[in-house]
Amino acid sequence: MNAPSDALTLSRPLLRGLIVLNLLYALAIAVLFVAGLVAEDWVFDALGVRSGEHRPRLILGMRAMAVVGLAAAGVVDRVLRQLAAIVDTVRAGDPFVAENAGRLQRIAWWVFAGEILRLAIGAIAWAATTKAQALDVDIGFSFAPWLAVLLLFVLARVFAEGARLRADLEGTV
Amino acid sequence: MGIVVRLDEKLHERRMTLTELSARIGITVANLSILKTGKAKAIRFSTLESICAVLDCQPGDLLVFDPSLPPEE
Repeated sequence: MNAPSDALTLSRPLLRGLIVLNLLYALAIAVLFVAGLVAEDWVFDALGVRSGEHRPRLILGMRAMAVVGLAAAGVVDRVLRQLAAIVDTVRAGDPFVAENAGRLQRIAWWVFAGEILRLAIGAIAWAATTKAQALDVDIGFSFAPWLAVLLLFVLARVFAEGARLRADLEGTV
Repeated sequence: MGIVVRLDEKLHERRMTLTELSARIGITVANLSILKTGKAKAIRFSTLESICAVLDCQPGDLLVFDPSLPPEE
């Protein structure tokens, strides 16, 4: 078995594993969010939120982050499932179909949405941070994801063109 | 489509079957059948050349334009 088909064989269980991990991640956030509503003091003390005037603001920020985090998990789920569908068409031996162009375009939009959510988390952290205590999350601006979005849109167009040429070729004798 | 493929008529003239033509030009019967029934979207020059060589005819003998037929979408 050569390297590309090895990668293809591995990619399916890997993607399925990532989908499950992402669902567990979403579940963990949801549990933490609900626990924070049910036993506010206990949960936010455990998360290291100190007492003081800044506490409600920090708690609100963390709750907003949990909601955005859940949305981000949904975005990751969409990306992984679209990718798994593309991998399935490669395994079936016919990846140059119009559906894959659509899937790549949807992935591009979801990655774009994911980056917006990442920036939203950064904005929440910035807004919730006070002099008394900072809401410290490591969200820095990076060009790479935006470049990936651009690349995905270009790839989607390439795929659409490839699918069109393929359809043309199919009727050629 | 306005282009009509007259392969069947030419084969009949030359007393040749599709299978025989397929064997002589190295194109599958299935593909030649697509061409014969007018379901092909395009024809390669190499295919046209091979068919013309075997059937001893011109491309115009095989392909005819009929303006009364609806154009391809």
